[in-house]
Amino acid sequence: MNKKLTLAMIFFAAVTFTQCKDAGDDVEPDDENELITTVTLKFAEKGTTTVNSFSYKDTDGDGGNAPAQFDTISLKPNTAYTLTVEMLDESKTPAEDVTEEIEEKSDEHLLIYTPAPASLLSYTYGDKDANNFNIGLTGEALTGAAGTGKLKVQLRHQPGTKDGSATSGSDDVNLDFALVIK
Amino acid sequence: MSFLHVSSINTICNLFNKLVISLLMIVFSVSAFGQNNNCACFVKGIVRDRHSNQPVIGATVLIIGQNSGVFTDEKGRYELRNLCPGTYTLECRIVGYNSFRQTLDLTSGHIEDFSLQEQEIHLKDVEITAHRSEVPSSQPLNTISGNELENTRGRSLAESLKGLPGVTSLQTGSSISKPVIHGLHSNRVLIMNNGVRQEGQQWGSEHAPEIDPFVATRLSVVKGAAGVRYGSDAIGGVILVEPEELPFNKPLSGELNTVGFSNGRQGVLSGTVQGGIKILKGFGWRAQGTVKKSGNIRTPDYYLDNTGTNEKNFSLAAGYRNKGFGIDLFYSRFDTEIGIFSGSHIGSVTDLLNVIKNGEPFIKSGFSYDIARPSQNVTHDLIKAETHYHFQDGNKLQWTAARQINNRNEFDLHRSRNDSIAALNHPELTFKLSTLTNDVVWDHKPIAGKLAGQVGVSALYQYNLMSGRPLIPNFNQFNIGVFWMERYVKNSWELEAGVRYDYRKLKTYRIVSKEKLSDHFEFKNFSGTLGATKNFSERLSARLNAGTAWRAPNVSELFSDGVHHGAAAYEKGDASLQPEIALNTIGSVKYAGERLTFEVGGYYNFISDYIYLKPQPEPILTIRGAFPYFKYTQTDATFKGVDVSASWKFIKSTTFSSKLSYLQAYDRRNDSYLVMIPANRIDNQLKYELPDYGNWHQTYISAGNLFVARQKRVSPGSDFAPPPKAYSIWTIQAGSSIRLSEKHQLETGITVQNLLNTAYRDYLNRFRYYADEMGRNISIRFKYSFGA
Repeated sequence: MNKKLTLAMIFFAAVTFTQCKDAGDDVEPDDENELITTVTLKFAEKGTTTVNSFSYKDTDGDGGNAPAQFDTISLKPNTAYTLTVEMLDESKTPAEDVTEEIEEKSDEHLLIYTPAPASLLSYTYGDKDANNFNIGLTGEALTGAAGTGKLKVQLRHQPGTKDGSATSGSDDVNLDFALVIK
Repeated sequence: MSFLHVSSINTICNLFNKLVISLLMIVFSVSAFGQNNNCACFVKGIVRDRHSNQPVIGATVLIIGQNSGVFTDEKGRYELRNLCPGTYTLECRIVGYNSFRQTLDLTSGHIEDFSLQEQEIHLKDVEITAHRSEVPSSQPLNTISGNELENTRGRSLAESLKGLPGVTSLQTGSSISKPVIHGLHSNRVLIMNNGVRQEGQQWGSEHAPEIDPFVATRLSVVKGAAGVRYGSDAIGGVILVEPEELPFNKPLSGELNTVGFSNGRQGVLSGTVQGGIKILKGFGWRAQGTVKKSGNIRTPDYYLDNTGTNEKNFSLAAGYRNKGFGIDLFYSRFDTEIGIFSGSHIGSVTDLLNVIKNGEPFIKSGFSYDIARPSQNVTHDLIKAETHYHFQDGNKLQWTAARQINNRNEFDLHRSRNDSIAALNHPELTFKLSTLTNDVVWDHKPIAGKLAGQVGVSALYQYNLMSGRPLIPNFNQFNIGVFWMERYVKNSWELEAGVRYDYRKLKTYRIVSKEKLSDHFEFKNFSGTLGATKNFSERLSARLNAGTAWRAPNVSELFSDGVHHGAAAYEKGDASLQPEIALNTIGSVKYAGERLTFEVGGYYNFISDYIYLKPQPEPILTIRGAFPYFKYTQTDATFKGVDVSASWKFIKSTTFSSKLSYLQAYDRRNDSYLVMIPANRIDNQLKYELPDYGNWHQTYISAGNLFVARQKRVSPGSDFAPPPKAYSIWTIQAGSSIRLSEKHQLETGITVQNLLNTAYRDYLNRFRYYADEMGRNISIRFKYSFGA
């Protein structure tokens, strides 16, 4: 009887000690996890060398500190611009260029530019993926008459479902830039 | 030694009939005896302690409806004499144990015949093994066992419990389901799996309990705060998942269950073998395993893409009994892979609003068993050792040690854009939660046959390791609780009281701006319970219990900080949260007649510092746009409601039963309604029992209707879409039990759920925004059992 109890106690003690682990030893930043922290729209005025850049920047990702930068897009009326996009993950050192990865996987991504009101700007895609669907990393933006509004920039992630429409997939980026044409 | 007054026992017994039957274990054996006149039937047997197998002295055994009872002698024996042929209900009780009730048939159609064969009918030798009670008996306890449990075979734990009044479920689609008791769930409902508190990542609404219901032969729900006996988290109630006692010294027996469901083309196979060992007296063992596979679920109009599940579970148990000593070892492994409906990944609020507007998911698919991203892969291992010793004088000491390892991997819809990382196919979230629990309970011997009680210490040590997308911190947690409960029985009264003190230490580790940050927390709390039971007659009784329970804020409430993609909400924790404390008053009246039984219960649960997600006026801006911003905040909440269940055998073989659950939840400090509270519902059933035909017994057919009202108590604008409309669904069932031979039996049943293939949505399903509930589902089950 006592022997059995002793054996049981040894068994439980063994179980108890293997448990003594400090969860603090195992905390480390995760580098596999991918973020987009920065979106920069580069408007190059056609026929000139002027490039206007406007950014959204939240280097620590969602939460934590509030976005450090969210520019108002300011453009000239009735002007043609070449619009290119740059996306970075600045939570890592060195910063990672997400644009490259989007380019490589262009058949899974679609950028959508939606001005409101629609008269402020019209966008024409300047690139196509392997299936001849739009991408939107480069394109042409033609501004309308002076006015103020918003420009919604969406990056649709559509792995395996990209068919040229906006409905499939989900948003990886969804930003409403303030837009001023003057 | 003084004994209980017989008539009072009678009524107490009545009261506890349904309440405690779950915690009992019965062994019947019929043997021969001779009697020679009409009213000379006997019932005799021995009352034993379930665990120690020691005789229970001074237990009352009586026949319900007759003012007669006897006490067990020093060897636990009892004998009831001079019974006329007929159907009797036998009750056994003693303070400190759960009461037990069994219906016996002492009827004989050949009473004038004095042959030995006939005489057998006049006597039943009933051996009763009583179980020490754990649950406060003044709290309502509902149990699913036997046939009722068989009908739920193949379903998840929460789905199996859904039929009980006051119990609903919180769902993520059809494959993830969590039990809800009186509107409370997750960390506010404690699950005791085979005597061990289940520790998974319960805080998550899409984290279902990692338990295979096939392990259990009884599922019980204790409603109301049970903090004294069970400690932290038992605010809404406790769910007890209990296997049968091991078959010590019994011959080999077993069962094989097969269930097929039309929806999801789901197949379930579960088997058990068990027995004693002939040459080793006092041993018992059991091995059990379940496999389950299901494909895409179909709503009335479309399939839900990627909603298959794949489950493989097994458990092993062995035990030994020798005089007062006993040890039980138990190991179980639960392993599941669950596909999450691919249309549920919400990138931004725009995504969600678009799909709500569309009325159905954008993603359509056909049938498939494949599980792709997003998905969950969860394993849960439990190893338990329970040792007890019953002292000669009636005292009992019990020690339960258990270790649980919960491994949860969650795969997001999108792999990394970076090919080399994507190729690894790592889960985006990994949680490893390891828990060690130790419980030592001392049951003191009944004092003067009137006062019984227990004193106990519970310790918990836990650590959590996370990797992937930062969601909750790593932590170490230690909890110790000390409790003392007493129960006093006198005349028609039964009184209970108990106190508990808990101390919890939590240390968290997380990375903030690439720096390791550590936080320390200490929580402590006193809990109490006070209860009374009054038996007015042997059929009518009333119970009242006031109890408290507490819950320390969990790490997700303390440290969440990010977008919850299933909910399209930005959730932020608050490290200054204090424990919430519930004061629950619950009362019920029960009547158990021959044809009519009913139970009416009311509760008022006041939870101070109730932790909830409070909508903030300003949305929070992220790269995926602005998300509604919620902060974990505390308020005072009340949950009040009524549960009614009734059954009426209005003509022979035909029973009408009805269950009603009504609940109102309110936020006192802000004078508004709480969100995500189950809607009121009523469940009606008509059951017709067919007479025995040849080898076919217990044959029945039934039709039922569940009506769920619309949840109207919501604050305007608190949700993306208004709560779904009321719905009404029909279910039909039939079943029978076929005796193949003396030791072989086949049970079968067929169920059609959602008979009319109604398209509906439930407020407590997180997919209510974009998808309907499961359509018609026909299931057929067979259970073959052999041996005992």
